[in-house]
Amino acid sequence: MKIRGDILRTYQSIHTWTGIIAGLVLFIGFYAGSLSMFEDEISLWATPSTHQLSQVPTEDLDSLIDIATSKFDKAQQGFTLNFNENYSPMTWSEEGGGRGLQLDHIVRHATLSNQGELVTQVELSNELGDLIDTLHRTAGIVGKIGHEDIGVLILGIAAILYFLALISGVIFLLPTLTKSFFALRQNKGANRFWLDSHNLVGVISLPFHLIISLTVVVFAFHDALYGGLSVAYGDKPLFERPTKAPTEYSIKQLPGIDTYFNKVSELTDGYEIYSLEFSGLSSKQPSLGIIVFSEQEMMRSNTGDIIYMNPYTLKPTFSSIQLSEEEVYVPYIASFFSLHFGGFGGELGKWVYFIMGLLGAFLFYSGNLLWLEKRRKKQVKQSKSNRFMASLTIGICLGSILSVVCTLLMSKWLYIFDAQINLSYITCYYIVFFAAVLYSFARGAARSAIHIQQALFVVCVFIPLTTILANTVPSLTLWSVDNYSGYIVEFIALGFAGIFYYGFLKTKQRAFHGEPNSIWSLPVDSPSLAVTKKIAIEQN
Amino acid sequence: MARLLAHEKIQPHWWSKTLAGIFLGLSLSYALVIIFAWYGPGGIDAPAKVQFNMWIISPIWLLIFSFTYMFKTGLKAALYLLGANITAYSLFFFLGWLS
Repeated sequence: MKIRGDILRTYQSIHTWTGIIAGLVLFIGFYAGSLSMFEDEISLWATPSTHQLSQVPTEDLDSLIDIATSKFDKAQQGFTLNFNENYSPMTWSEEGGGRGLQLDHIVRHATLSNQGELVTQVELSNELGDLIDTLHRTAGIVGKIGHEDIGVLILGIAAILYFLALISGVIFLLPTLTKSFFALRQNKGANRFWLDSHNLVGVISLPFHLIISLTVVVFAFHDALYGGLSVAYGDKPLFERPTKAPTEYSIKQLPGIDTYFNKVSELTDGYEIYSLEFSGLSSKQPSLGIIVFSEQEMMRSNTGDIIYMNPYTLKPTFSSIQLSEEEVYVPYIASFFSLHFGGFGGELGKWVYFIMGLLGAFLFYSGNLLWLEKRRKKQVKQSKSNRFMASLTIGICLGSILSVVCTLLMSKWLYIFDAQINLSYITCYYIVFFAAVLYSFARGAARSAIHIQQALFVVCVFIPLTTILANTVPSLTLWSVDNYSGYIVEFIALGFAGIFYYGFLKTKQRAFHGEPNSIWSLPVDSPSLAVTKKIAIEQN
Repeated sequence: MARLLAHEKIQPHWWSKTLAGIFLGLSLSYALVIIFAWYGPGGIDAPAKVQFNMWIISPIWLLIFSFTYMFKTGLKAALYLLGANITAYSLFFFLGWLS
């Protein structure tokens, strides 16, 4: 396909500059987003299994609720029932709780003993999965304007630039697309190889990227977008105001649990209930959130669909599933969410989204490397702006991964030493992150790329080693890992260990044997290396 | 393809085109969405349609925005987008007057 040269040049500039501005925060958003596909598994992995109490048969739930709510006032306000055997059957908030990230959310777990007596314990809820999700949404940028996270808004702007980068990237790739799409030219130098793989990954995952960029813009700016829309709605309210009952409800009026099971099977088809979250039970506006799950459906997110209803009247107030014939727009809206969160295709779909997210991170990383390569000069010492960008890329990209991996490694040790777990996670993340960025600027991109990848390899290997230790030393057995999801973190950590070890070897190779007039080249200090380096210089 | 003369080529005009794409592109997108909101399938009262309307604003806006750079000059971008805005909003008010 032929496209005019001036159009190509215009869009090439757009691609370069939007990419370089937005690339780094998007890198964090993408790899952390990959990990957040396993958000619940990560929290469960980090929580000592002694925190969870054993499940009770469904027919005993009503008596569990009766006893618990008569003994504990907090439970009369609201509680959660979990039907997954990895979780306690009943929990409620003792302190904290509510929407958003809660670092000091203290939860009481409750179950019934074999004799039918109430057993409870209080634990600080582990928020590791939520913290990774927050990192995914904010790129680790803290602070708020009003009730909006600054990080979310910045990622929203980055997503606009990212959409421009996608469209412009496709436009200026079109003329050579058919010729060199599947070409991965390894013999034309590292530069060509990076470019080919950048293009290949970009084109094959284009639909995914278009969806992610557009949904992120909506997630960041929905309030503003609704604000604009309300002007055109005039006197029509955008949303129905929730109705309040004339008198306060009381928990004594609460129907039995099987009522909700019947209601869900009446409303939906083929969904199973994951959890019931009751709130405001002793108020005029009680609410029940039912998390339902079906691998056959396009669910709102990979953790399921949600139906809200009044727990006393069973009248639905909101549902992410189409409940009636008139709700023709609900499936479309559900699919927008689903396509972002990977709420379809079950376990395989989750892994596909995990890999797509990592490929996205690769796209931004390789894009930055190509930018550096394009501005490379035929001299040993590269320009100041190039050195700055290289250090920033290595420090932020590799540093952010290193900090997450260090936090994962610390997790079990923090429990063993009884630290305030969620605050320690945050402290650990930011210390390692800023240390890596400083190191990258102090020692230069070439050296820190080698060292940070080495560190990543070591830390990744130590994660499964810690698990083995925690499972074998009797005094440390806070965890009993006997299900598949319990090993996901170890499995992923080992995979990453391999990738980073390979990256470490390749980066070292490039530093000492690669093109000497490059930002990635390092001076040689051993005589044998100096000879090969000299040959490399002569060949150029 | 014959070589284009300097004045026939697309001028960069980064600032003016970007501003036109952001503001006029967004208002054009709103115009199209509110026509759909009031007169599209289900009308203004269809359940959950307001969410759908909100969702489609930014995709339309960003598509317009990303092709704004195809205009030869910043001025042309602004004029064409302004014209499209006037047409779309006129249509919206005309439909309102009809019903």
